[in-house]
Amino acid sequence: MIGFFKSLAVTLQSMLRKPVTVQYPGEHLPMSPRYLGFPGLLWDDAVDEPACTGCLVCARYCPTDCITVSMKDNPLHKEGKSKRRKIVDDFQIRMERCILCGICVEVCNFEAIAMTDYHEEADISRGDLIATKEDLFRMGRDYQKRAGIVVGAGSGSEGEE
Amino acid sequence: MVAEADLQTVDMLLNMGPQHPSTHGVFRIVLTIDGERIVDAEPHIGYLHRGTEKLCERENYRQIITLFDRLDYVANFNNELVFVMAAEKLMGLEVPERAQFIRVILAELNRISSHMLFYGAFGTDIGVLATPFMYGFRERERIQQLFEAVTGARMMHSYFRVGGVADDLPDGFTAHTRALLDELKRGVQECDRLLTYNEIFLERTVNVGAITGEEAIDFGVSGPVLRASGVPMDVRVAEPYLVYDRFDYEIPLGKNGDCWDRFWVRIEEMRQSIAIVEQALAMMPEGPFQAPVAKFGFVRPPRGDTYARAENPRGDFGVYLVSQGENTPYRVKIRGPSFCNLMALKRMTVGHYIADAVVILGSLDIVLGEVDR
Amino acid sequence: MTWADVGWLVLSVGLFLGFISFVVLFLTYAERKFIGRIQQRLGPMRTGPFGLLQPVADAIKLLSKEDLVPGRADRFLFWIAPLIVFVPAIVIWVSIPFTRDIVIENLELGIFFVLAVMGLSIAGILMAGWSSFNKYAMLGAVRAAAQLISYELPLLVAVLGVVMIAGSLDLQVIVAEQNTVWYIVLQPVAFLLFFTAGLAEVGRTPFDIPMAESELIGGPFVEYSGMHWSMFFMAEYANTFAIAVLTTLLFLGGWRGPAPATGWGQDVMMAFWFLTKASAVILVIFWIRATIPRLRIDQLMSLAWKVLLPLAFANLVMTAFYLFYGWPDWSIVLLSLGLLMATVYGYYVRRRSRLPRPVTVKLRVRQGRIVG
Ligand code: SF4
Ligand code: SF4
Repeated sequence: MIGFFKSLAVTLQSMLRKPVTVQYPGEHLPMSPRYLGFPGLLWDDAVDEPACTGCLVCARYCPTDCITVSMKDNPLHKEGKSKRRKIVDDFQIRMERCILCGICVEVCNFEAIAMTDYHEEADISRGDLIATKEDLFRMGRDYQKRAGIVVGAGSGSEGEE
Repeated sequence: MVAEADLQTVDMLLNMGPQHPSTHGVFRIVLTIDGERIVDAEPHIGYLHRGTEKLCERENYRQIITLFDRLDYVANFNNELVFVMAAEKLMGLEVPERAQFIRVILAELNRISSHMLFYGAFGTDIGVLATPFMYGFRERERIQQLFEAVTGARMMHSYFRVGGVADDLPDGFTAHTRALLDELKRGVQECDRLLTYNEIFLERTVNVGAITGEEAIDFGVSGPVLRASGVPMDVRVAEPYLVYDRFDYEIPLGKNGDCWDRFWVRIEEMRQSIAIVEQALAMMPEGPFQAPVAKFGFVRPPRGDTYARAENPRGDFGVYLVSQGENTPYRVKIRGPSFCNLMALKRMTVGHYIADAVVILGSLDIVLGEVDR
Repeated sequence: MTWADVGWLVLSVGLFLGFISFVVLFLTYAERKFIGRIQQRLGPMRTGPFGLLQPVADAIKLLSKEDLVPGRADRFLFWIAPLIVFVPAIVIWVSIPFTRDIVIENLELGIFFVLAVMGLSIAGILMAGWSSFNKYAMLGAVRAAAQLISYELPLLVAVLGVVMIAGSLDLQVIVAEQNTVWYIVLQPVAFLLFFTAGLAEVGRTPFDIPMAESELIGGPFVEYSGMHWSMFFMAEYANTFAIAVLTTLLFLGGWRGPAPATGWGQDVMMAFWFLTKASAVILVIFWIRATIPRLRIDQLMSLAWKVLLPLAFANLVMTAFYLFYGWPDWSIVLLSLGLLMATVYGYYVRRRSRLPRPVTVKLRVRQGRIVG
């Protein structure tokens, strides 16, 4: 019987404590700076063009094959404004297949992609779960602004092609 | 009047799962029952088969880490650890000490969070209305927040790398962990007091699903289930890996090998894990967190094969790795402790009641991701 | 009987039905909130302020859900079973007094009527389990039948002790007789038996074996959905409330409590005390539900037949001696406590002898080596 009453005492005690619930859509848990949300594409503000050259490295190393990239000649390079000879033409990530592993970020030579903290991208149809280039830039540029990432400041962007 | 012997009764087949609230995922067990008593039990597995071993043959060493995260999806660090250890063994790689300590801390914390899930699920199986479940998840949440601060992900970390870890620990990690450990101590104590010596709990678990040490060894059972039967076998001691040979702790052993012993062993292991993490925090040196290997962890281990094993929350987790010197392994064979522990299920359940089958399955603490692979 | 009488009857029945439905709805909310707090959660918070409209939302959801009948079910029995469970749960309220004056029809055999009608619901549960054409439902129904029949006996015999002291089966008289001392003092054994057996009667934890969420996935009700399911649900909560109310009436002095001697204030205070006591009992039921694991069917049966029933009879004999020889009150209190102590001691002795004591060892590891 002793254990029985001990159990009752435990539940009574925890009832008197403050609930630990965080009422989600209204409140959010603090996110760690390292949080791995959906990948987003970064923007080179110095030249005002995407940092991505469409080199396909991320697409090749993505374990779930969820990235589609194509490249084109960079018009700004011809004008001499940009170091990037090629630039991304189209870029898609299938959000329903992305496992948020961060490999694409690790392998990118141009610091062009980053794990943003976006995580509420649920949708009701499969088609809407394909993040287009615009979606990726929206997430990436917003994250870039908040996290203070400047493309080209680091070591990555030297390795052109 | 008809004599009881003349009454014609037939055994009934009762199909439990794959959609049953207490089969812990998509496990199916076909019970032959005589009234409430179980005469036969036949487990069916494979509903969650994802072909991990085959997938490993075409992914490179960095990508495979993400697959191992998803094997035993409540002990992610421990799984990653065994795979990277196998690759390191093959390459003869010396892992920096700091990385080893980081790995120990994270693996032990993950053991606690996994046992907390066991605690919750077991409490629900035994019929408490979700209270242990909520307590277990309350503690898990704290641990997961720490994991998020370290790796960026709450469950699928992909943080360990061949030769070390992905990144150094974040600022304030030690303080955060110390605070966490204090809370965990309190939480474990509370969970312990809620169930362990409750009379009804004792009635339900003591002498249920008992299995002797010899039988357990014959079935290839490992981990807490084996230790509950009184066999002092723990890979951390038997074949020390990482820096486990530097800590002082205790290995809880049961005697009867019944559900209560398995429960108690896990509760006690949580306390011991806390002790290990405390010591590891105090002893952790500064230094590099990653040995110099190929870029991005795209290693090419030399031709050969090796076997690495570690003590996972569920038991002895092993990886047999064959390399042909390519950037992908030639073959990866996984020894999942849940799968092997499941072998003893029939021996444990036959002769007990339906309600006991649920409790016994809960006490084995299987994770279907690892059973079906 | 004049038309006015009929009209009054209809009105009061309607009022009571409304009250019971309200209580049932509120109980579902209260239970979720209370258990939520026990688990350090908030419970329902989204519908209305503090989630107060949650029961309404649940009711709407259940009403608008499709009422499925399994293909090979016995349609008639399947359809009627919830009614057979639901009707007794409501009918008992006819003769349960809420205060000295608020009662639809006080019967002289009140407690007898209530317990007799409550027992009827077994038939409905058995029908539900049988007609569902589902093995889980069948197992649950058989469990339910066994459980309810076994627990009826200690329940009744426990009540007998109270009835003997009060000298009446009339619930109003029983409450009136408790003017000096509540029967929980004179009959602690009967109180515990009644409460335990009552929990089993309504299938609350630790006796929710027929429903056994983690084993039988809801037992007899597994195939039900929509309105039919909600009838079982309402019956369960109405019965829980009934057990709480009966405990209050039989053992906790009913509506007794400090109140003005006359006037309408008296009635209000009476109702207040009555509901307060009943709510306290209900909270204890919820508290137990969130704390205690479920028993197993064989343990449940042996508890009923080997512990509760002998205890109930011992209590009955004890009470008879007390009444016949006119012993002082304290003697029966002491005797009862002695009986309870003996039972607990007997439990520990039995556990020692029958079950292996959980033995645990810890091996010490120093620097990675086992040192004993
Ligand atoms: S690796 Fe980087 S630069 Fe290349 S396509 Fe991917 S994001 Fe663009
Ligand atoms: S995070 Fe991983 S899965 Fe997602 S796109 Fe990048 S590489 Fe692919």
